[in-house]
Amino acid sequence: MLAAILAVGSAIDLGAHRLDEYLQAARLAIEIDRIELQLELTPGVAVADAILSDLDRDRDGRISAGERSAYVSEITKGVTLEVDGHPLEAHAVASTFPDVAALRTGEGTITVRWAATLPELSAGAHTVFFRNGHRRDVSVYLANALAPVNRRIAITAQRRDADQRELTIAYRVLSATSR
Amino acid sequence: MRPLPYLTLGLSFLLCLNAIGAGRQNTPSSPASASNGQAAATARIVSAAEAVLATLDAAGRTKAQFPFDGPQKTRWSNFPTGIFHREGLRMGDLSQAQRKAVTTLLSVALSQEGLTKVNDIVRGDEVLRTADTGRPPAGGPPAAGPGGGGQAPPPGAGPGTRGPRVIFGEDEYYLAFVGAPSTTAPWMLQFGGHHLAINLTMAGSDATMAPSLPAAQPASYSFEGRTVRPLGDENDKAFTLINALDDKQRAQAILPYRVADLALGPGQDGRTIQPEGLRASALTAAQQTMLLDLVREWVGIMNDAFAGPRMAEIKEKLPDTYFAWSGPTTNGSAAYFRIQGPTLVIEYAPQRGVDHIHTIYRDPTNDYGAKFTRAK
Repeated sequence: MLAAILAVGSAIDLGAHRLDEYLQAARLAIEIDRIELQLELTPGVAVADAILSDLDRDRDGRISAGERSAYVSEITKGVTLEVDGHPLEAHAVASTFPDVAALRTGEGTITVRWAATLPELSAGAHTVFFRNGHRRDVSVYLANALAPVNRRIAITAQRRDADQRELTIAYRVLSATSR
Repeated sequence: MRPLPYLTLGLSFLLCLNAIGAGRQNTPSSPASASNGQAAATARIVSAAEAVLATLDAAGRTKAQFPFDGPQKTRWSNFPTGIFHREGLRMGDLSQAQRKAVTTLLSVALSQEGLTKVNDIVRGDEVLRTADTGRPPAGGPPAAGPGGGGQAPPPGAGPGTRGPRVIFGEDEYYLAFVGAPSTTAPWMLQFGGHHLAINLTMAGSDATMAPSLPAAQPASYSFEGRTVRPLGDENDKAFTLINALDDKQRAQAILPYRVADLALGPGQDGRTIQPEGLRASALTAAQQTMLLDLVREWVGIMNDAFAGPRMAEIKEKLPDTYFAWSGPTTNGSAAYFRIQGPTLVIEYAPQRGVDHIHTIYRDPTNDYGAKFTRAK
């Protein structure tokens, strides 16, 4: 019966599971005194070797603590964070790496979290700017602000470039008495 | 090596899914009848789940059952076997009687439309398997190699070999029970495989299908002389809605950037992104009805007894719900959309073209029945 099944179109893209791209999903959480950035990086199967060659620099089939640290530093170099036009220094506060086998199958996701301390901001309108320039040659990007947990913060707009490498978040800080 | 008749059994699973529509009920007209309908549906689902377990030996039951508060609850994916390892009962390992019991369970847990959707998604993966291996999906020779049908050849051995040993096809769908089926205590029915994750959490007479992931590749195929589009209604209703908006509404709804994939897909539990797009309060009554009709494509996968109250909840919160769009507005194009409200997230994300679609359905307040289980 199912012999009657025929795919419409001449070819099905079996490689369409984002196998040849490096998906980088950024999420930014804005607090009164800091920005928290989380980046999840998932290499597709077809680009896994290229990413692994950046990661496993001594080619021993394992990702050592030193290699993890070096890779986080490399990603950090590509990250730009600003508030109201002023650069912020983002410190990596945590990272997790899947094992090499998971990376090779396209199931592994590298997660890195950064925190950046904000200067004391007055009540009113502010903007946070984020840019991710890591591995532009093979990457696709997502970038989103998380819904604020703190009720003194209200996001008013998000603006991105066409590929979501850049995200500008406009928000308002409400005074402690105006809640 | 598996016996030749196995493929026929597998195909009958699909056909039975299509034929049975016992889960459909009329939408209740009052809270009391809704509650009665939910309780009756719960009893039927629990009974069908217990019937599945009764077909298994001790080893099978161990394989199928997981603790409710353990890690299995959140272990689901859109990836195929070979990239993602699923736990539970593999459909390809079941006998005809066991498959029939699973079919009956799905037919009472889901609505008739939901069952058809699941059926079409699974069948689409069978199409993918055929394209991948070059072997006919039924009536053809048995598949070579350990495990039998649906096995892609090893790396370097032909089509479909790009690193991992990816396996497509109807055999590669899994059923798991997270917690023991019960009319009072919380438990969860998981059914999933490539491009499908149904996570139905039951808690007494309450149920939620969040989070679940219906997807499709191919998004359109021919079966017995008719064109099957597993997510065709979702696509068409969304395009109709975006084209029903006036210029001002569209300017708010359409996002000026590319969205390559789901923002809140597998592994993104517990996250809430800032909503964007056009607020539904700015829609006309007719447009709001169109939006709700679109939402029902996801909500209505589960048994109508539970879908009805869930739709009422979404309708109540509709003024605070947003509709966002990215991409062209001509039907037949690849366009992403998101519907996000206080208790709802739906995303529809074409993957580099129109023939491969990922979608997600979530309730940020009640994924995995968090609200129900907190209240119990």
